[in-house]
Amino acid sequence: MAEKSGEAVTTNEKSPGVFSLLIPYRGMIALLIFLALMSNGINLVLPKIIALGIDAYPKHYVLKSVLIEFISAALIIFIFTFLQNIVQTYTSERVARDLRSRLASKIASQDYAYIEMSNSSKLLTNLTSDVDSIKMFVSQAIVSIASSLIIIIGACIMLFTINWKLALAIVAIIPIIGGTFFFVLKKVRTLFMSSRKVIDRLNKVINESILGAALIRVINSQQPEYEKFLAASTEAKNLGLSIIRLFAGLIPIIIFTANLGALTILALGGHFVISSGMSLGDFAAFNSYLSLLIFPILVIGFMSNVIAQATASYRRIEVVLQVPELEDTGTITESLKGNIALHHVWKKYGQKAALKNISFSVNAGNTLAVIGPTAAGKTQLLYLLTGLTKPEEGSVEFDGKSIDLFNKENFYKHVGFVFQDSIMFNMTIRENIAFSDLVTDEKLKRAVDTAELSGFIDSLPNKMDTVVSERGTSLSGGQKQRIMLARALAINPKILLLDDFTARVDTNTEMKILKNIRENYPGITLISVTQKISSVEHFDQVIVLMEGELVARGKHHELMKSSPEYVQIYDSQQSISNYELQPQ
Amino acid sequence: MNYNLNDIAGEQPKSSTFRSLKKLLQLIKEERKNLLWALFAILSNSGLNLLGPFIIGYTIDTYIVRKNYPGVLSFSGLLLFMYMLAFIASYKQTKIMGGVGQNMLFKLRNTIFNKLQELPVDFFNQNKAGDLISRVNNDTDKINQFFSQSLMQFIGTIVTMVGAGIFLLAINFRLGIATLVPGILIFFFTKATSHFVKLRNALSMKSTGSLSAEIQESLNNFKVIIAFNRRDYFRNRFEEVNNVNYAKAIDAGVANTVFIPVYGFFASMAQLIVLTLGIYLISIHQFSIGLLVSYLAYATNFYNPLRQVAALWTNFQVAMAGWDRVSHILNLESNLLMTNTNGHLKSEDLMEFRNVHFGYPGGKEILHNINFQLEPGKTYALVGPTGGGKTTTASLLARLYDPVKGQVALNGKDIRSYSSEERANKIGFILQEPFLFTGTIRENILYGNDHYKDFSNEQLEEVIKEANLQNLLDIFQDGLETEVSSGGESISLGQKQLIAFMRAILRNPDLLILDEATANIDTVTEKILEDILNKLPAKTTRVIIAHRLNTIKNADEIFFVNTGEVIRAGSFDHAVDMLLKGKRES
Repeated sequence: MAEKSGEAVTTNEKSPGVFSLLIPYRGMIALLIFLALMSNGINLVLPKIIALGIDAYPKHYVLKSVLIEFISAALIIFIFTFLQNIVQTYTSERVARDLRSRLASKIASQDYAYIEMSNSSKLLTNLTSDVDSIKMFVSQAIVSIASSLIIIIGACIMLFTINWKLALAIVAIIPIIGGTFFFVLKKVRTLFMSSRKVIDRLNKVINESILGAALIRVINSQQPEYEKFLAASTEAKNLGLSIIRLFAGLIPIIIFTANLGALTILALGGHFVISSGMSLGDFAAFNSYLSLLIFPILVIGFMSNVIAQATASYRRIEVVLQVPELEDTGTITESLKGNIALHHVWKKYGQKAALKNISFSVNAGNTLAVIGPTAAGKTQLLYLLTGLTKPEEGSVEFDGKSIDLFNKENFYKHVGFVFQDSIMFNMTIRENIAFSDLVTDEKLKRAVDTAELSGFIDSLPNKMDTVVSERGTSLSGGQKQRIMLARALAINPKILLLDDFTARVDTNTEMKILKNIRENYPGITLISVTQKISSVEHFDQVIVLMEGELVARGKHHELMKSSPEYVQIYDSQQSISNYELQPQ
Repeated sequence: MNYNLNDIAGEQPKSSTFRSLKKLLQLIKEERKNLLWALFAILSNSGLNLLGPFIIGYTIDTYIVRKNYPGVLSFSGLLLFMYMLAFIASYKQTKIMGGVGQNMLFKLRNTIFNKLQELPVDFFNQNKAGDLISRVNNDTDKINQFFSQSLMQFIGTIVTMVGAGIFLLAINFRLGIATLVPGILIFFFTKATSHFVKLRNALSMKSTGSLSAEIQESLNNFKVIIAFNRRDYFRNRFEEVNNVNYAKAIDAGVANTVFIPVYGFFASMAQLIVLTLGIYLISIHQFSIGLLVSYLAYATNFYNPLRQVAALWTNFQVAMAGWDRVSHILNLESNLLMTNTNGHLKSEDLMEFRNVHFGYPGGKEILHNINFQLEPGKTYALVGPTGGGKTTTASLLARLYDPVKGQVALNGKDIRSYSSEERANKIGFILQEPFLFTGTIRENILYGNDHYKDFSNEQLEEVIKEANLQNLLDIFQDGLETEVSSGGESISLGQKQLIAFMRAILRNPDLLILDEATANIDTVTEKILEDILNKLPAKTTRVIIAHRLNTIKNADEIFFVNTGEVIRAGSFDHAVDMLLKGKRES
């Protein structure tokens, strides 16, 4: 978290500081500072009142007025601090909430490529701990610094008005404490950054050991995991000890310097009382002001840390906030017919091309199978077809018009995508399936029936209202796949894209589902990425992808004659395909 | 066994702060000597610092008031000497206590991690991964923050407070009692409100938790959100939790801020008492000006730390709450212990299921009275509809769970009598969801493999060739040094499965279980895998779970798993028949 601050400071000199964030809240901030000024300003008067009391002790009538002054001062302080704290809480929480909202709506308007690029755990940090450190800045730093400055300046003025010679001697301790503190904090900050990194490493080992728990137990690699952890843990401990060593030096120096101040007051102040008639009350007031002075100096030091952290956090947040709003340039709002065409499409990841010069077309209502080995670029192809990613070269067209020309909202109403990996939300099955808000009860029922889910859902105690747990751990792989299919079908799409749908669903169910789709969704354009030739033999068109290239294209029986790659794949499955084609 | 931490938290009585503290202190039993030294340093430091105001007061009364300046100077010298001693003591105090804190933290972290490693898979299935990660990371971090940053301050301020209180009472008992009255009021005020404040804070923390859970879920599922055009879903759900979080945070914040002005007010009242009562006592000659100055200093020493203690006490409570949540994990015991089951079963089979019954905790029975044997060197296939119990059967073979009733035997002995090391060496299990560690392919395929871990890349490539894995490795651009990450989409599911496959083969197990381990691998590459499986040493037994029938056509025997039963299929045709006509349970 903090590790990037150094780099950000150098590279991003001109970006607005964290203070600019406060402009919309200037009214509240002004009120806050005013309240802090009042409560602390009056606080400064207390020692003076005490001094008056001490000097006036023989005269009782003065004491009475001192008493009233003191009580009213204390009451006013109480009211102002109370108000100040409430305003402080409201302001800081408000800033945090608004900032989170802005971030979230910015993120929500970005495309998939952006989320993939900026990685979700980084965005999570932006939304949680970065916002928290800004909240801390608002709630603590502003008030603390304002009140500390008031106390330091005010106390100094009071000291000088009482006795300027003694005041000079006392004020000399401020730079000593401030300097030591600044010096040590600077060193500690770098150590904190390294310790943050080590903690991140510790957390990574913990995370992997939780997510990979099954594997670790199967392989019995608990010991090596522990050793990995121990190495990071030991490093964290050593860093912690270095920080302690610095603090072990810092705190005693500060206390000792403050004590020297008390000593100066005794020796020098005592001299003034004896020789030049300084009053004992003033002498006592000096002691009180000294004890008032020390703490604010430390607070300013600590707050410089809070500000540095908040600045670093704000820069990271700014980066997200300044990403241009994604505008939907598409204007076509007509319903899709379902014609799809790719012209000379290239998709690259870094140096490596995932798809090379791919062209093909599918007519509305037809079926297309994409067959190919692992890492052939099949999933990438589907992502292009849904506009999740964009090609570097070439064009993706629907009904003869580029995908970019379509109004996004309209476009996604007609395209259903069943992802390869199980994506379940921690909601009810009904909400998971009727994920789009266009789904009616009737559409929902048709989708559930088509995906062969009704039997399963009826067997659940709460039927459709059963909550699916995170990562869908309570469901089997096939059940999750079928829920995702139902989710895609529920929007009543013109185009259905299946990514390796057959991998986790047994043959029997798969056959039924494909038949259901043909019956319940006539005229749908179906593109299926799969490993199993048997389930796509009757498709209108099959394309074979290998290492990002389209190596063959045609109907099953044509490919059997023309494409050695296809035949090779077919042969590897051939011996059993007759069983799988057996009619029910 | 119930491993659900949220259920457990409800069941266990809330332990008192001191009881949990005692448990935590168990971790640093051997630090006793250091703790004694630290205590000595703390006492001398605070004692010396507290003696200061008294000496100042004495000097005022005996020398300044009587205008004896040399006396002032000699007492100033004494004071300087005392402050120097305090300087040394304070340095020692911070250093020793800081060291103890760090050691404790170190031990705590290691203990938690060790416990996580001991617990069975069941534990990880019963708890959300996100919840576990947050429990281990955030909660230890809270304990960390307290021990590395607040502990010394905490102890120091408490000692100073107590010391100041003693001086107040010792100098003048009646005045002391009067000065401490506001302190007692503060105590009762805090006591009376703390439950309410704690509750507000707990609610706020909980809503922060659901906020981050919400963000995580939405970000991870972003492609569905886009493809189903539900950007508003993310916005609305977020807006909702964000507002709840805001409201709860304000509730907690307002509750927390009540303390500061109240403490400040009571501290002023104490000063007022000292001033008025002190001056009255001086006027009747029972007190002196010097002592009044000392007294004001002690009152400040008593009430100033009070605010700090309140803040630190909250930190302490937060740390203790974290420790409580963590200790729920530490209290769990693995239910997969090694047992000494006697009765050596005579058997030629590699593995055997004898009358095995199994159900997940709190669920219905999934397997009913299962019996079968696996012979060495043969290939077995488990087929059956989705949700029929194939993975469960395989998990019992690898002892990820123990049967509820009945026995699983390995080489004729109860599988529970093997050490986990022996068992892991004999049984290899390629899981349905492949998991990769962030690192290189080399690190991943040698993960947990002691045999080859010191091999150079050249030597390792030789081994890979011998195991016929060369073709698979060639798929990866940079060979052994190809970088992979545990989460990222830089690598396809099929490629992950290939890495998991290589990892299992290189371990050379007696029994190799493939649980739909090749589901996302294309059929051509799968042919290569099949060749590799066929060329495994003669003694290796294979158990293959698959939907795609071609993966199992060479099996020596096929088991049909459905509705809690495992039935031996006579032939491949028979199995296919059952699969096509079989009742679906899903």
